[in-house]
Amino acid sequence: MKDFADKLQALLDKGDRDAVKTDEGVLEKYQVDGMTPKALVFPKNTKQVADVVKLANQEGWAIVPWGSGSKMAMGNPPDRLDLVVCTSRMNHMLDVDTDNLTITVEAGVKFRDIQARLATEEDRCYLPLEDLKTEANEFVCSDRSHSGCFLPLDPVCAGTATIGGIMAAASTGPRRLLYNMPRDIILGVRFVGPKGDIRGSGGKTVKNVSGYDVSKLMVGSMGSLGILCELTLKLLPLPESMETLLLSFGSFDEASAFASAVIETQLLPAAVEVMNKEAFEHLGSDWSLEVPDEGYVVAVALEAFKEAVHRMKNEMVKMGKQNGRKDHDSLGEYDHGAFWLAVSELSRKLEKSYSGIIRAKLNYRISEWKNIVAPASKILSENGLPCAVTAHAGSGICQLNVLMDRNEKTAMDNAVGAMEKVLDLSVQAGGNTVILDAPAEIKPRLKIWGKTGSDFVVMKRLKEELDPAHIMSPGRFVAGL
Amino acid sequence: MPVERTRDKDKMEAKELIDRLKEIVDPEFVLSSEMDLALYSYDASLEKAVPDVVVLPASTEEVARIMTLAHEEKVPILGRGSGTNLTGGTIPVAGGIVVHFSRMNHILEIDTANRTATVEPGVITLDLQTEVMKQGFIYQPDPASQKVSTLGGNVGENSGGPHCLKYGVTSNHILGLEIVLNDGTVIMTGGKSRENPGYDLAGLLVGSEGTLGLVTKMILKLERAPEAVKTMLAIYETIEDGANTVSAIIAEGIVPATLEMMDNTVMRAVEETIKVGYPLDAAAVLIIELDGMPEGMDEKAAKVMEICKRNNVREVKLAKNEAERNILWAGRKGAFGAVGQVRPSYLCCDGTVPRTKLPEVLSQVIEIGRKYHLPIGNVFHAGDGNLHPLIMFDERDENELQRVHKASTEILKLCADAGGTISGEHGVGLEKLRETCFIFNESDLDLERSIRKAFDPDEILNPGKMIPDEPCRQALGL
Repeated sequence: MKDFADKLQALLDKGDRDAVKTDEGVLEKYQVDGMTPKALVFPKNTKQVADVVKLANQEGWAIVPWGSGSKMAMGNPPDRLDLVVCTSRMNHMLDVDTDNLTITVEAGVKFRDIQARLATEEDRCYLPLEDLKTEANEFVCSDRSHSGCFLPLDPVCAGTATIGGIMAAASTGPRRLLYNMPRDIILGVRFVGPKGDIRGSGGKTVKNVSGYDVSKLMVGSMGSLGILCELTLKLLPLPESMETLLLSFGSFDEASAFASAVIETQLLPAAVEVMNKEAFEHLGSDWSLEVPDEGYVVAVALEAFKEAVHRMKNEMVKMGKQNGRKDHDSLGEYDHGAFWLAVSELSRKLEKSYSGIIRAKLNYRISEWKNIVAPASKILSENGLPCAVTAHAGSGICQLNVLMDRNEKTAMDNAVGAMEKVLDLSVQAGGNTVILDAPAEIKPRLKIWGKTGSDFVVMKRLKEELDPAHIMSPGRFVAGL
Repeated sequence: MPVERTRDKDKMEAKELIDRLKEIVDPEFVLSSEMDLALYSYDASLEKAVPDVVVLPASTEEVARIMTLAHEEKVPILGRGSGTNLTGGTIPVAGGIVVHFSRMNHILEIDTANRTATVEPGVITLDLQTEVMKQGFIYQPDPASQKVSTLGGNVGENSGGPHCLKYGVTSNHILGLEIVLNDGTVIMTGGKSRENPGYDLAGLLVGSEGTLGLVTKMILKLERAPEAVKTMLAIYETIEDGANTVSAIIAEGIVPATLEMMDNTVMRAVEETIKVGYPLDAAAVLIIELDGMPEGMDEKAAKVMEICKRNNVREVKLAKNEAERNILWAGRKGAFGAVGQVRPSYLCCDGTVPRTKLPEVLSQVIEIGRKYHLPIGNVFHAGDGNLHPLIMFDERDENELQRVHKASTEILKLCADAGGTISGEHGVGLEKLRETCFIFNESDLDLERSIRKAFDPDEILNPGKMIPDEPCRQALGL
């Protein structure tokens, strides 16, 4: 053990007391599915990451990368675990180029810090931040005299997540309806491969067909092909106007009729989120909306030019009335930001309250959404499992949060069976179900990544070729890659 | 020079290969006459090489069987659409089998409820766009060659077009692919569902220039057609003013659907052929197009025109209707053809730079033209920094051709040094193999080689393309 830490310490700066940690109290905080690493490493830059991985590859040590830890519940339990490589000290913004609408940052930079950095001189920011100071350091910076930009991503845990973690997990949220996916905004990447080599691909331009699009391969690869170190991402000008419309309905049928009607128009909302009462109430008490029992809420995010937001709001209020809305409210810019931040933090909040929570993300053909949300909720209620349900209408995503405590043994058993049925349901609708979070002890009984497709044969070939020693997050990814 | 390769002697004789292929595909669609092969020996680049045989399959199953044969016999194999490739990606430098997808040209399904279209790779880009437009939808990627290019080719090259600034490139619009792997295995990756766990293989395949597999079916993303479009044409006394306008518009928080620019050389060529009324004494024209919801668009158009004025525009016009809009676009769409009439050949460099670098890079491009005594016209996607310097020359003049290659390399170096890249939308192919070292080091290239090896350990899929064999600095004599 001592030897292990010494080897690592020798690699990094010997005088740097924060580089390697082996005290048990600290290690325990970095457990992955109940497994404790032998050491934690906090590299300061890409080169140090490369040195650490090179040594690990020689010694056969298994590595799991770690950002802020907000997505560590994802994936199968690792086959083995020696090192956790933490990116928290890699928090430099390398190039903030608002004129070209690109930003290059190190993987450990927090999403909130990027948004704070892109705020306008008048402090208009995409996230509702009262304090625009950032933890990140900057190498190349431009001033704030632009009209405001933002990073068009809507990740889970927007308040704490690092950009490296968000991209590695391909984390998305309701506003992907307008802004698409992490794969669509990444322009370039530098990462350390499983053999310790620093690899790069892409660059600063939207158009780039020089070489394979490795950036897309790395997005969503869950640390199984390397450690993301530097990312170049596309920015957008801050929307001129941002508002949210909240509507409550007595039943899923009414709520979904409204949401579908909105999606069918040529209007361009940023998000149309449908949630059951359970989910809405867990967001917090800051929003005064009357929701009937068994009722549903539809939240519509509007981010566009002033005139367009105005029109969308008017038309949607009318459509809400036609579809029998019970109550409605609209939120101005600051509350809009706060509301969607709460939506992104919902899972964390639920995790704190329910120690045995199972969170599942269902994907399916977008036209099938009405045939998924209600039946999936029904499967859970038939099993006596309370559930907070949210669905991105128009994107084909539904998230189920099964609210349980760890000691409710029967409920847990029922949940395992219910998840199997939910998986079948989503497969029938042309999709899959991924378990985002579950207690470590029942993970082995769940199909964490759902059903494997015919393309797994290529994924396996890629993993074998790029990580023959199986040291990068071994076993955590799809079908135990 | 392109990478030269010859097939090993012990590989299957061409005649036997042809006979075996005729057992898989209707013999009528196995082409091997000298004339047929000559027709498949070139594309829209300056490269040439003759295949051993050309085959036109009709189904995924036939493609899989052809691939199995190529795999067993270790014969090079490459896919081809309409051959509009500009970097030699479709040139069979190692001989072997060319799989021409012209018969697999069916739109299998337009599913507006799921916002997808499922197509075979041989469908012409514009044909699909016309079909979906009838139902009020749009498939965004619009490469200039959309009238002839195939969707399969667009996927192979990750084609761009004028709309990329706002809507992204081809890979942003591909949801799923059916792929025939090197050993004939057929896989499906992605699908109508927008999020599938596992590696983003579709993301990797798009733009892989046929080196990772043959795509036999594609699921494309459709969007609702925008309610409103506004098109403007701005005329400038200097290129710098035009380029500065582009940056200024985006700095004001407006992301137009299109920002296209043409310089005087190209405007002259356009006026000599199609005559759209460009002033011959102006230095540049800029086409600006906004799209989206009509609310606020008049105000934004007014703002754009004000920004043009702030940047010394000579004149700026707003199209009042569809007919006027078509006139504004006619010159841009006909630009490449017009240039082709000025000199017998042109080489289109496809370097791309961060938008704010446009003015300085453009003036250096003009310098390079002077240095090598070559006329260079510029017609380009200004919004996304994608240059298209057209070096005009006569291919029969050996000396001139050499100067063209030198100038082109220098232009690409210039783009790479400005923080850009050597290809925005045309690919590396054969033409830019050596120039990859301007942007990649050996470690980066090794990664690409590993990826290729994972897909194709025997190197039968479009060999000799995209990744240089030898350390490339050496090849360029650096």
